[in-house]
Amino acid sequence: MTTTPVPDNILADFANMSAALTGFQSSVLRPFLDPVNLSGLYYGFAVSQVSQQAMDALLNAYRAIATQPAQTIADTLLETASPTPSNQAQIAQSIVAMWYLGSWYKPAYQNAGTPGAVVQVVSSEAYTNGLVWKAAQAHPMGYSPFTFGYWSQPPASLATFGVNVPDGGGQ
Amino acid sequence: MRKLATITLLALAFACRKELPKTAATETPAPAQEAKLTAAPSGPAIVLSSAIPGDAQFGALPPNATNEEKLLAIQGDFDIFSWNSFIALNWPPGPDGNGDPTKTIGQDGDNDTVWEHYRDVADVFLPGGKPPVWKGSTPVPPECTADYAPGMRILSQVGKTPTVLTEFSQPFNTGPLIDQNGVYTRYEILVNKPMFDYILSNSLYSKAGQKVFSGTVKFPCGVLGGAEGAIMVKSAWKIIDSSEMSRFHSEEVLVYSPASDNPPYPAKCGKQTMGLVGLHIGHKTNSGAQWLWSTFEHVDNVPTEDDVKGGTLKASYNYYNPKCSAADCPPNQVPPRPWDPTKVSSFHSQIVRINTFKGNEFAPTSAAERNADAVKLLAGVNPDSVWQNYELISTMWPTNTGTCQAIAGDPLGTPAPTFLANTTAETYIQGMVPNVSSNCIECHNNATMTTPVASDFTYVLQRAQ
Repeated sequence: MTTTPVPDNILADFANMSAALTGFQSSVLRPFLDPVNLSGLYYGFAVSQVSQQAMDALLNAYRAIATQPAQTIADTLLETASPTPSNQAQIAQSIVAMWYLGSWYKPAYQNAGTPGAVVQVVSSEAYTNGLVWKAAQAHPMGYSPFTFGYWSQPPASLATFGVNVPDGGGQ
Repeated sequence: MRKLATITLLALAFACRKELPKTAATETPAPAQEAKLTAAPSGPAIVLSSAIPGDAQFGALPPNATNEEKLLAIQGDFDIFSWNSFIALNWPPGPDGNGDPTKTIGQDGDNDTVWEHYRDVADVFLPGGKPPVWKGSTPVPPECTADYAPGMRILSQVGKTPTVLTEFSQPFNTGPLIDQNGVYTRYEILVNKPMFDYILSNSLYSKAGQKVFSGTVKFPCGVLGGAEGAIMVKSAWKIIDSSEMSRFHSEEVLVYSPASDNPPYPAKCGKQTMGLVGLHIGHKTNSGAQWLWSTFEHVDNVPTEDDVKGGTLKASYNYYNPKCSAADCPPNQVPPRPWDPTKVSSFHSQIVRINTFKGNEFAPTSAAERNADAVKLLAGVNPDSVWQNYELISTMWPTNTGTCQAIAGDPLGTPAPTFLANTTAETYIQGMVPNVSSNCIECHNNATMTTPVASDFTYVLQRAQ
């Protein structure tokens, strides 16, 4: 993992790309005030796994289409229509999994000869802040940010969890 | 102050965001934390004033500030709020209990304080659920009547009540804190008038009142330049002798230990001179729907991990013996049972402040700067002021919240710093493990009344009888 501070503009690009890939608001992935700094943690972790060169190439591919709608960015970078996604698309997929699950799933191209996927939990913050919990309007096992008795009420809308939904999210 | 032109950080935020590539993802409106902060062009400062700040005041952010720089700047604003709160709460009071503007904190070295005229929670939640009175009398245990004089405070060791977070069990039921003289540390919790009034007007002082309460517990929020919100003050005290009085805020109080069956000991009460070792201020404000948590300690309490590793230790501490090796005195150990606060213990707590700010270095950096500023001010009033011997550990604040209202999808408001512990109150839960280590907002978010209803970040309502 890199220990050198990553320039803010790089992290902003990484968060904006991640927002398009995950369907969440960029301001949730990289808040205006960010004491947890998951975007910095995830950027550094991904670079340590796939190389700076591969990450730069992915971000450059994003920058080239950054003005496109989020769905187009996601379909392009993840190569959702391809049965055999490129190494770069596999990295993008691992980044999506990292944001949602707080774990790093080694891209398939790095797994040649290894049975099954190699999974690594990034950190305790990554676990408690996984987007999967927000998308489920829920919380991880062993950690709840909600007040006592929350289970007796309908969950808050998806939009309040930061999900980019055109209709504001249902229940 | 109110006439100062204000700008919102929302504008600053969007100014910054204009530099970002516009994508579908970035066009979404930013969350509320950008809108809630109001910046004053002159910026806030620590001041010698008897006025309790109703909320934090924010200075303008540096242009193109990085995340770390933004956090450092706003942490600084909250730390200034904390110091201004500390100064105002420890101001000499007038006859009405509010700060007397004709006097100054520490002008005579030590002084009576505003917060010590707040209502002790033991006097709010009375036997039988009787309505409390703001300036009512204090129930005096029979064992204390001989030494009691009107106006004298009673620091009680509250008996073991499983559903109550008592003062005695403040270090979270994991054990008492015992000073280097073998004496148990004592605690008390007090509430200010707005908090008291909310409890009284909603009949939350009794179990019966809580049972019929049908709304959401929502204490009042303080307003910048206006009224203070609900304030809780938790204090920790150790017995001191006359030679130590020049370094502590001290009070002569009655220390009461009710009788116990396990271990068995009879009730005991005695007059003691106590020195303040910890002060924890919780204030609900417009910018802190999850409350703002300011925590102060006496500078002689404990060394840090770095002090121990680097050998930069003081000659003595309140809760650490520098002459005892780690092998002989392992740090941060819970005292062995039985726990009998009526006796002098052979066990002395060996407490070290764990660095819980890894990744949040802006917090200790800011606190150190504000502490230096505050000490200069306080020593300027009187070089012998006891108040210069207290330090802000940090202020915990929500980075993502609405005005006096949490955001449903982020009820904790993503606190900064992520962890914060006062070694006199959260002694044994220092660390960086989510939901386990000390995080004021995260822990208090679990609080309920005696009914299974959330109690707006305070455990005191569980004391209702």
